[in-house]
Amino acid sequence: MSDESLPAPRAGAPGPGARIGGGTLLQVGLAVLLAFLCLAPFALIVAISFGEKVQGAAWIWSVDPGNYARVFVGALWPEEFSGLYLQRLWYSVLYATLGAVLAVATAFPFTWFLTRTGRRAQTIWLVFLLSSVSVSEVFVVMGWDILLSNRSGLPMVARETGLTDWLKAVGWFDTLRGWGLANPRDLKFKTSATATVLTMTYLVWPYAVILLYPPLSRLDPALTEAARTMGARPATVIRTVVLPVLRLPLLGAVMFLFVYLLGVYVTVSVFAAPSQQTLAVSIYDAVRGATLDAPFGAAQSVVLLAVAALCLWFGQRLGGRGA
Amino acid sequence: MRRRLHPAAALFMGLCALVLALPILVVMAAALNGGRTMLFPPEDPTLARFAEFFAGDPVWRDALWNSGLIAVSSAVLATALAWPIAYLVWQGGSGLSKALAAAGAMPFALPPIVFGVGLGFLWAFTAGLGTLWAGILSHAALFLALPLVTISVGLQSIDRAHLDAAATMGATESVMLRTIVWPQTIPYTVSGLFFVMVLSFNEFIVMFFVSASAFTTVTLQIFNSLRNGFTPTMAVAAILFVSVSITAFALVARWGDLPRLMGAEPEHD
Amino acid sequence: MAGLALEGVGRDYGATRAVGRVDLAFREGELTALLGPSGCGKTTLLRIIAGLEPPSRGRILLGGRDITAMPAHLRRFGMVFQSFALFPHLNVRDNVAYSLAISGTGRAARHARADELLDLVRLGHLGDRSISALSGGQKQRVAIARALAQDPEVFLLDEPMSALDAKLREEMQVELRLLQQRLGITTIVVTHDQREAMSMADRIVVMSEGRAEQVGAPQEIYDRPDNAFVAGFIGRNNFFDAVAVPGGLEADGYRLALEPGPAFRPGSPVRAACRPERIRLGQDLPEGNRLPARVVFVRAIGSERDVHVETPLGPFVVAQGSGLQGGDGIAAGREVALHLPPGALQVYPAQSRPREVA
Repeated sequence: MSDESLPAPRAGAPGPGARIGGGTLLQVGLAVLLAFLCLAPFALIVAISFGEKVQGAAWIWSVDPGNYARVFVGALWPEEFSGLYLQRLWYSVLYATLGAVLAVATAFPFTWFLTRTGRRAQTIWLVFLLSSVSVSEVFVVMGWDILLSNRSGLPMVARETGLTDWLKAVGWFDTLRGWGLANPRDLKFKTSATATVLTMTYLVWPYAVILLYPPLSRLDPALTEAARTMGARPATVIRTVVLPVLRLPLLGAVMFLFVYLLGVYVTVSVFAAPSQQTLAVSIYDAVRGATLDAPFGAAQSVVLLAVAALCLWFGQRLGGRGA
Repeated sequence: MRRRLHPAAALFMGLCALVLALPILVVMAAALNGGRTMLFPPEDPTLARFAEFFAGDPVWRDALWNSGLIAVSSAVLATALAWPIAYLVWQGGSGLSKALAAAGAMPFALPPIVFGVGLGFLWAFTAGLGTLWAGILSHAALFLALPLVTISVGLQSIDRAHLDAAATMGATESVMLRTIVWPQTIPYTVSGLFFVMVLSFNEFIVMFFVSASAFTTVTLQIFNSLRNGFTPTMAVAAILFVSVSITAFALVARWGDLPRLMGAEPEHD
Repeated sequence: MAGLALEGVGRDYGATRAVGRVDLAFREGELTALLGPSGCGKTTLLRIIAGLEPPSRGRILLGGRDITAMPAHLRRFGMVFQSFALFPHLNVRDNVAYSLAISGTGRAARHARADELLDLVRLGHLGDRSISALSGGQKQRVAIARALAQDPEVFLLDEPMSALDAKLREEMQVELRLLQQRLGITTIVVTHDQREAMSMADRIVVMSEGRAEQVGAPQEIYDRPDNAFVAGFIGRNNFFDAVAVPGGLEADGYRLALEPGPAFRPGSPVRAACRPERIRLGQDLPEGNRLPARVVFVRAIGSERDVHVETPLGPFVVAQGSGLQGGDGIAAGREVALHLPPGALQVYPAQSRPREVA
């Protein structure tokens, strides 16, 4: 939550490694436990991704790269190419990118104003934000599902208030139909890529505020004031000072949220059309759902993990260069 | 230097708050439905669903018990694990302690569905799949990063001069830990505990892979009935969840400096 | 006259009054120092002048034109901040050229102007450096050059030397003063350091608790403080309580003559002050205005020394300047006599409590 989470070592302090005994034992114990809980799951995924599915729901250890081939070119390759899982990966990346960018873009002005309110007001806002960040994805989806469902919710509100008729009158209704947001008679949000992306944005929006809060509240106010005394209008101050100074934290926030959104399952399974589902959904299907092919699910997980790791590594590199 | 917000800025913030609260408010209002279907606005408002949730249906009661047990246990476990790691790193730690901190933060930083799949495999091999203790350990690992961060922030806020002063008065490391470090980091430790508790209470996907349908929690139970259509009883659970979150974070705000914990500059005045 | 004038300017934060009602005229081309202890409202006043903070009352006039409602970016007063506030994402040259860049000046023209200003502050060779690669003194010069790039009508500096070490501070004070005189620009400097104010300013405004206590030339303020606060804040001073009597004061039974006589009704309680360097000590003292004293501590620094004494009126410090010979017998524990010259005594109303002698 804070960018100063892990402090720099204290110079000249006696390292615990210098003493043999309790400290070392504790560290070794912790290392074994964390290796088991935090690292072993990832290692197992990698190992199992090379396994082979056998009759029924079972699988055996193997060193078969076939699962990866299936992700990238399809099971029947080279006779036949199938981009089904590549397409799912594409939707994973697309939704996550749009959701993360949209969340940071709207959370930025909010956080900017938030850091300009009093300490007490900030505390109340933070309680509200933390409460909403912790609301389970299933509740969020439930709430938006009611709001976006065709029988009740917003499409009904639009019909009852005459908004739908007005949209038809001015011709924008057809535009919305073009975007998949309407059926011939009414507005329709389910299922659509728009609803998926917006729910994802909603899901990580409080996270975006929490990520942007430290750099924004630590920004020296003298920087913006100096720009003002040099003739910069408020919009110019944001464009020429605030955004360039904060470009690394902003990019970092987008990347963190992107990685988080890669793994979103409930939202996609409810709001995305069957042809526009993501890798997370097919991982679920492979491991616990209809297809029951654990090695293939593991291979897809590794691909997702690789995308996430690539993104984090890229962010690290940018951050390292900027510092 | 307190400035007043521009009215347009205040309006924008209010709008954000409204959109943020909207789906939850809708879910809450749906809890008042008299009938079996989830309608909004609610028809025939009644509080009967609350009684149903807390006292009636044993499925929901068991789910609630499991959720609570997992949340509290994994919070205690994660905090207990995070403390020595954060302390060792703060002490100027060895490479090993820094590697521990990195490993502990990793599950939270990667897509949760991948970690869930991995834990599913892990527990399948160790005969833990579908047991409550596996669920507790899984959530402790997933959320270890949170107390790790809050406790590190707390340790950093300790003035090193206090330690030097204590050392000149004859305090050993364990005495300093007990009399100076621990009291000053209690609010941060408790915050970390609450963060894990609340997030564990609400977590879905990892628990889904770990539970293997052998036990349910409230979020799992809700997901199971997602496709069969919502029932107003589920909305009662939502109200419960939101109240627990708000209470927990309000307590954190009361005991500690929440803006500081979230990374703002320490207050100067 | 195209100076800057404040008419009844004040600022409240809720119930707290940061600045009361200040009337001040800043003459064109002069360097004015706003001097006072921390929390006296001097920085708030500077921010009001810059347009960074709206006044709760009063008017600001620039060359007779009311600019009270004008926002900071239209006033374009160059300002140097305490933290320097240099933009970390721009190099030295682009920092200096910032005001020109956002007003649409072409690249070549603004770089030429920036280099000219960097030459002025003797940093002409550092245009391509990044801000993080500069020393404190260099940062300050860049901040000055940047504030001057827009040819401001008024030049504002908020505690400009506080981030510098003592030696560099004195050099920069001289350098800034020379630069200001060369450009003839109306300048306002906020500082809590009286030496800084005395060495740079044409005029000093001494502030306390949101008020301007005294306005005047540095020497004038030192020699003739208007009240006990100024007397205590500017330079060192010895204070004691007394009662006004015809032609002088009476304190604890000692009669002290005053020249000119006190402007207080006989019998009224007063607060009296005498500068350490005006007090005489030892043998060959003039008649009258004498106090017995016991030396408690002698602080000798080369040719100068401070003698700390205990008198019936309380502790006093006596400063003795150059030309002093050792071996005059002044040492801790010795009983001596003090002489307070009638012309050196300053008298103020009793209610105002100044800060203790520094």
